[in-house]
Amino acid sequence: MIHLQKEDTKLMVAVHGWSGILLGLLLYAVVITGMVAVFAEEIGIWSAGHVETRSAFERPFDQAIRTAAARTPPKYYEGADIFEIGDHNLGAFFHRHETEPDGEFVSRGIYYQFDREGRIVKAAHGTGEEVFGPRNDDALSSFLVDTHVRLHIPNPWGLILTGILGLAMLVAAISGLLIHRHLFKDIFTLRRKANPVLVDRDRHSVAGTWSLPFAFLLAFTGSFFSFFGTIGVPIVAMAAFGGDVQALNDAVFGNAAKPDTRPVAIGNLDRVAADALRRTGGAPTFVTIENFGRADAQITSFHEPKERGLEPQTLLYSGASGAFERVKPSIGKQPSAGGTLAAIMAPIHFGNFAGVLSKAIWFGLGFAMCYVTLTGLRLWLVRRREAARSLGWLERAVTVVGFGLPFALVACSAAFLLTMPLGSAVFWTPTAFVGASLLAIFGGMALRSNAVLDTGLQTATGAILALLPVLRLVTGGPGWGEALSVGQPIIVAVDIGLVLAGGWMLWRMHAARFLRGRDVAPALQPAE
Amino acid sequence: MIMSLLAVAFSAAIIVILGRGDPKRRRTAKLAGEGQSVRTRRLLSALACVPGLYCALAGDAAAFMIWLGGCAVAGWFVALGFGQTGQDLA
Repeated sequence: MIHLQKEDTKLMVAVHGWSGILLGLLLYAVVITGMVAVFAEEIGIWSAGHVETRSAFERPFDQAIRTAAARTPPKYYEGADIFEIGDHNLGAFFHRHETEPDGEFVSRGIYYQFDREGRIVKAAHGTGEEVFGPRNDDALSSFLVDTHVRLHIPNPWGLILTGILGLAMLVAAISGLLIHRHLFKDIFTLRRKANPVLVDRDRHSVAGTWSLPFAFLLAFTGSFFSFFGTIGVPIVAMAAFGGDVQALNDAVFGNAAKPDTRPVAIGNLDRVAADALRRTGGAPTFVTIENFGRADAQITSFHEPKERGLEPQTLLYSGASGAFERVKPSIGKQPSAGGTLAAIMAPIHFGNFAGVLSKAIWFGLGFAMCYVTLTGLRLWLVRRREAARSLGWLERAVTVVGFGLPFALVACSAAFLLTMPLGSAVFWTPTAFVGASLLAIFGGMALRSNAVLDTGLQTATGAILALLPVLRLVTGGPGWGEALSVGQPIIVAVDIGLVLAGGWMLWRMHAARFLRGRDVAPALQPAE
Repeated sequence: MIMSLLAVAFSAAIIVILGRGDPKRRRTAKLAGEGQSVRTRRLLSALACVPGLYCALAGDAAAFMIWLGGCAVAGWFVALGFGQTGQDLA
């Protein structure tokens, strides 16, 4: 392994510890919500009881888009983004790009939401920031994703913060690699009854070693996404495009063509989608139309990576005729190593390149990283326990966040299930999260023992987890028979997963006491 | 997907063998025997990497990433599993 001088090692240990202790709790919040957000799509299906399995792009949608376009002022024909919402329904955002007086680059237009039959059920006018928000049926998955992406802090500060947290994770991973002298020798060593420092050190280093390559990958790609739009794009636009973000977007991501403003009706979108499906093996995940209704209109359809690949597929069609033009690189006009690297950032970060299998593995890696973060914090504290009793508040804070956050997440899931049928899930999902967080904080202040707080929060989390499927059924969610009959096994799988996870938590906390009348050491041993 | 699963399963089995014979784990758990020799462990580690190498050479990037991530998760779980058997050091 890498051998550093004694002084360098001490410096690295300090960098590793302080980078973790200063940002560790926030990093934990980002990592745990990221872990859950790997299954955001499945959670959305499960929680809202979605039973449609066919993509909106596999059903006729051409007429719906034409109807919406007819209602839209031509000034918003500069771009039309078409995507799925809810239970495989359609959403479309006709917009143009503007620069606000404060220099902020925005998309302003009209956002249409369609029902299953392609009828417009809602139209909202404003900037992308204003019109896109959680809906009643996706409030839970939106909440999870928004917490992970920007901790609910307004743009750009939330993204900048999560980007900094990603960098902190990168620093911790690199310094951890440098300070661990016996990386491979210790890879299976987990002492359970040694002194607390050794126990926590083993837990931290074993999980950290196994997940180290992915700590690099996920931290780097996460920081990339956070800084891309907030810092990267504005800097490049300033340096090379005189501050014109739209010009940069056109040059890097757009489809440069000779301008032709003659009005020409858009080609048949159903045929375009069918052709794209045939060429890529899957329905589009997103379709965008530049210069809608003009002779130089171009349609770009985005797809999942092809089998055995990581790079998402992008096809370009003529807007006027709907004829296929070419496979489009994600960046630039010609395929390039940089373009490929940029394109695979998302699949590597989200783990969504090979269906449920890759997602399950990424979930496991996320779990390992939560474990590494929490055990790292506890290790830092337990090493200082004798020297600084005044850090008791931090030890308590680690328990409140470490186990209070999962508790708040399952509590807001329960609130979503209860309030979605009433149409008020957008309000109650985050409210329940805040309420449960306050309850955990209050418990942290009121309870004398850290161990009692620890046990209480884990027991409550396990109990709610196990009860979520019951709550889903009681509040009108589809039963297993119905879900399986329409080809939606994910609902059944999530139900089983939740019951097993909740049951396992309860069993681990209380089984030995019930069976043999003695305590079981929790996996994350309280540092006291 | 089948290739990815087989690759992960093969390497996970080797990881289990590596974990069983890990000298430091056996020493701290006060188990009989010294565990595998360095040479055996190196050979087994190389063998565990063969499926990943095959996926990479076959140009199956998705299978390679699944193999890499799957081995990381499997390795951690194997270590946790062995940890449950009791590795005590005063």
